[in-house]
Amino acid sequence: MIRDWHLPALMAAAVLASALATGFSQPSVSATGQPATSVRSLAAPADFAHIADPKARSAAYFTELGKVLTNPRCTNCHPATDRPRQGDEARLHQPPVFRGVDGFGLETLRCNACHGKANFDPARMPGHEAWHLAPAEMAWEGKTVSQICEQIKDPKRNGNRTLADLVEHIGKDTLVGWAWHPGPGRTPLPGTQEEAGALVEAWAESGAYCP
Amino acid sequence: MKWSAAGGIALSLSRFAGAQTPSFLDRETLPGQGVAHPSAGRVDGVAKVTGAKLYASDFRAVDLPGWPSDTHHALLLRAPDATHVYEGLALDGLAADARPQVVVTAEEVARIGVRVPAFYEGDLFCPIGKTPLYLGQPVALLLFATFDAYDRARVFLRDNAHLRFGAETGPVAGGNYGAFRFTRVAGASPEAPDVYSPIQEGWIRPGFFEGSGRPVWEPLPVAEGGDYVKGARFGEQIRAELDKPGAGTLVLDRRFETQSIDPMFLEPETGLAWYEPGAKKLEILLGVQSPFEAAEALAHLLGEAAADFRPARIDAQFCYVGGGFGGRDHTPFPLYMALAALFFPGKPVRLAHDRFQQFQGGIKRHAFKMRSRIGIDRASGLMTAFAADHELDGGGLANYSPSVAVVGATAAIGMYDVPKVDVTTVALHSRGVTAGSMRGYGTLQTMTALEVLVDEAAAALPIDPIELRRRNALKVGGRTMTGNPYSVSVRAPEILDKLDAHAIWRDRAAQKARARPGVLVGTGVACASKDYGTGADCSLGSVSIDAEGRIAIHSDAVEMGNGIGTALANRVAGHLGGRADAVTVAQVDVFDELELIKSGDPYSITQEEQDKAAANPRWVPEISSATSASIGAHVGTHAAAEAARVLFRFGLWPAALAIWGIAAHDPRAKQHAEAYWQGETLVMSGLSPLPLKAIAAKLHAMGGVTGAMAHAFSRWAWAQATFDIGGDEWTADIDALALRRGAGGFERLDRRAVAFPPADYNRIGTSFSSMCGTVVRIEIERATGKLTIAKAYSVLECGQALVPEIVLGQSQGGFAMGVGYALLENLPLYEDGPGNGQWNLGRYVVARASDLPLHDLEVEILPPLSPREPPKGMAEVVMIPVVPALINAICDATGHRFQSLPVTPEMIKGVLA
Amino acid sequence: MTALSLTINGRAIGPIEVRDDLSMNDFLREVLGMTGTKFGCGAAQCLSCAVIVDEDGVSSTRPTCIAPAVDFDGLSIRTVEGHAAGGALTPLQVSFIEHFAFQCGYCTPGFLNEGQVLLERLARDPIPRAELERTITEALDGHLCRCSGYVKYHEAVRAVVLADAGRYLT
Repeated sequence: MIRDWHLPALMAAAVLASALATGFSQPSVSATGQPATSVRSLAAPADFAHIADPKARSAAYFTELGKVLTNPRCTNCHPATDRPRQGDEARLHQPPVFRGVDGFGLETLRCNACHGKANFDPARMPGHEAWHLAPAEMAWEGKTVSQICEQIKDPKRNGNRTLADLVEHIGKDTLVGWAWHPGPGRTPLPGTQEEAGALVEAWAESGAYCP
Repeated sequence: MKWSAAGGIALSLSRFAGAQTPSFLDRETLPGQGVAHPSAGRVDGVAKVTGAKLYASDFRAVDLPGWPSDTHHALLLRAPDATHVYEGLALDGLAADARPQVVVTAEEVARIGVRVPAFYEGDLFCPIGKTPLYLGQPVALLLFATFDAYDRARVFLRDNAHLRFGAETGPVAGGNYGAFRFTRVAGASPEAPDVYSPIQEGWIRPGFFEGSGRPVWEPLPVAEGGDYVKGARFGEQIRAELDKPGAGTLVLDRRFETQSIDPMFLEPETGLAWYEPGAKKLEILLGVQSPFEAAEALAHLLGEAAADFRPARIDAQFCYVGGGFGGRDHTPFPLYMALAALFFPGKPVRLAHDRFQQFQGGIKRHAFKMRSRIGIDRASGLMTAFAADHELDGGGLANYSPSVAVVGATAAIGMYDVPKVDVTTVALHSRGVTAGSMRGYGTLQTMTALEVLVDEAAAALPIDPIELRRRNALKVGGRTMTGNPYSVSVRAPEILDKLDAHAIWRDRAAQKARARPGVLVGTGVACASKDYGTGADCSLGSVSIDAEGRIAIHSDAVEMGNGIGTALANRVAGHLGGRADAVTVAQVDVFDELELIKSGDPYSITQEEQDKAAANPRWVPEISSATSASIGAHVGTHAAAEAARVLFRFGLWPAALAIWGIAAHDPRAKQHAEAYWQGETLVMSGLSPLPLKAIAAKLHAMGGVTGAMAHAFSRWAWAQATFDIGGDEWTADIDALALRRGAGGFERLDRRAVAFPPADYNRIGTSFSSMCGTVVRIEIERATGKLTIAKAYSVLECGQALVPEIVLGQSQGGFAMGVGYALLENLPLYEDGPGNGQWNLGRYVVARASDLPLHDLEVEILPPLSPREPPKGMAEVVMIPVVPALINAICDATGHRFQSLPVTPEMIKGVLA
Repeated sequence: MTALSLTINGRAIGPIEVRDDLSMNDFLREVLGMTGTKFGCGAAQCLSCAVIVDEDGVSSTRPTCIAPAVDFDGLSIRTVEGHAAGGALTPLQVSFIEHFAFQCGYCTPGFLNEGQVLLERLARDPIPRAELERTITEALDGHLCRCSGYVKYHEAVRAVVLADAGRYLT
């Protein structure tokens, strides 16, 4: 039998993914931390068909989407302060970096000084060509799903986006999409970006009610 | 050099005659003759700001003349599990272009017959079928032909499980690494002899329960001999008194826990080695704090190996070190480096930790659990009794655990004079990463607990915290808890007065009252008295001068940032006028002419054995020791300074007399002590000043003494010997001497008489100590628990500061490391900790500039008591009071006295809620 | 594999075929043997590996341990080996030495590059004297040093600025 080493929780998914990809003979990659299936998937809009009340169903879509929005992959860069967080345990970003005037960091340490155009897996370095912080008014860190829901509908606090824009942002934006492919050492968001997009769309079309 | 090293393998450093490529020694000789450099600054300054190759991690085979040009690469795989049976490697996931050429495991190593040095006892590699002894225990060395293959494998194996484990066994049980009891009962008056002390009676160890390995602290007959029972009875008496104190005595009983941390030196451990099977020569290049030990360990490792794996000669070369802090003193890394080379014959191999691997395999600071009880007479504020029990988590290998336990225990009453003391300590084996030497060496932990306790006692009595310390501070001539007095200056009153008078302390109430809304302000103070030296400290040094007046210095001390090279240059310049422009450090093999031999263990030798051995004029108790224990200034520069004294007295001085035309019978010929240097000019009243260059030219023309080489040994006092130098008797704090005349080679002189410090000085806990006190003012943001250090002041004494700028720099660095230990750094001990191979900076947080009061940190270095007070070690003591001062300040601000480290904003926020 | 060409300390290097997953740090240290640029953490945490990148007349630093070498294709960079042109130390190098800024020196290349970039920025865009300390702290804060406690590094950078205040300060 091949047993996995005791990886911290954040490594579990990455190891699982790469183990499958490389054909490692591992029947029981059972890392400490969350059970793989429950956090790794997102329900589809159809899964909520049993909810009769349309408002409740709409809110339920958002609650499901909340698994994504409150995940450290999202909240780390939608921080409550000017300093982002890092890693599955959402520790304060090291080295200390700050929002700066444009969300791309202070002049002395810009985001792209370290974050390249794409992930650099040999160094577990995440990257994207537009790596930056969400604006301060879009801070999600520490908020409940309900609070985020009210906030995300408010054009003053969502970057002046329409509901359709939100479907596009969450369902298609490539920086958002990074969070499903964060590279080794980080747990991806549950489900897929398409599934998340479908939830936003269902929520928007059903009146965008908040939980 | 003919060492009595095990295995009979010749150990040396060959000097390469480099053509285009500079030799290793040329690169490491600084600043280098003819190199332009600013007049101020470190001797390694220019090299370090221009990116010169200096560190072990800088060298590749191509950089070393005579080596094959290609560098091969080794990867050390370690077990991230220490509770299941190891069943072997599963490297099938490695792509074809990432496969090793050679895989070395326990099986291969067993086959060639290596011997693990006693200090590193334990399987070098976990054999199949055994549960790893500790998290991070090596299981295999993979040897790769190319960097690319190595690099691909390193990344893949970091991110993918590659070891097979079977049945769960739980952690491997191991015996304790050491248990000791230090008990002292003072006599009725300070002058009276102690009723009982370790110095008088010897050190005592308890017996152990069969099976569990736990010490038996009670004075039961199972203990080792009767000695234990006597000491333990005194100890139990002290505890009984603390259990039932009278109304006039305050007793506090507290527990304190400290965490495991990493030294986090910036250059991960790295080496380069090449085994040439034809010549049976192993060349190895390393960066360690203990070069002599590393070379000896390699010789022992391979001394009885199979013919193909037993070098006839090991050439070990030691580099500048990118940070040490103790964590590079006696590490097993060199053993793996050597094995990598031996299993890849003919090929230069590089073994270099990345940071994940350094966290997984590097030496850690011991986590301590402590229970301390203190009794204080309420009326006088005098401490009457102290009892403590310490438990250290030693991790997987013994390493320095017994020693750290002892040093921590004997520091348990810090700077105080307590008439009744009973401290037990035990270092435990665990499945954690091995703990060993790190700056503070047990005393950081025990003095933090003590200074937090003393602060609480001051509040409880109540007595002003500085006044309580003043009343109880050990006085000059007072006895430490092992029963001996310090043999160096003791300056507690001055330190305390400085702290008391400082504005941060004076203004503490006003500052607290003036706190901004939402902010809590607190002020804390603490002191430490920290030993330096180990009780068997050695120094090797040589100084020579050429006909141009250029000075060259060799030393065995290691430059790890401590400024030893600069300290050597400055100390020698005090005797010779000129500052050396060729300083080499970490040289253990350029002292062959002393023909030193050693036998026995300097820490446990008997007086009879020592007396017998000392009859041989080549014998010394130990040849070279690690650069650690804050001995750089005091010990590291000592032999070179003594060599410089000889060179002046028997070389430059006679040459100066010759220039002045002063005959031997002229009374002025004896007045060498009255001459002094003004820059590079020798001044003697009534005579014309002489430039060093002119004296040196004359000296060489005369064929006089142009170089001196010396060895010194200290066991809490220097060994002293007398030599006959050209008919003059010369007695100095050295035990071996060689001289060079003119352009000749060094020739050793037999000592005529020698006095080594008595063997029973080994019962001394410490006799050298420096003091430091710190006061800090902090601000805590109520809403978040965020702590900011507003102002800080540290005051220390260290005798003569050889390089005041470096003493200051060490103090500032010690402050930063103290802040990290108190507030930031933390490693879980076991499965979630660094042994799992997934730790790096980011998750592990050390202090940055923004965590520190860069422009509000004041450091005061007390001037030496007299111009002749020798330098004292200070690199450790400056870190210690910072930690309890912060904890005490947090208590002042919040009312909560934390009893564990680190104290995080979340914890502070928690107690404010 | 990708062909990589770049300018290092004013010298054209390449084209050299490199693996796409070779880090810039390993390109400098293992391929070119330029070990003045250090490896500390491999995770952009200590910045001892940072080099200067010159783009459009503006310099900035970038860590090399977390970036593929191929990302530097076509760029012009400076490393610690390139500061002292013709053997003459720069004012910042001299100031580091005279202030005893470093101890073990392993983080020095990163601090030197960052400090140099700051000086070049201030020369372009001077700041008021009152903002100097904060500006230095912000500029250097990404760099870890375990020996010095940072004080002397900051003093050394400040001294260079104050010695030529007309150039760096408004």
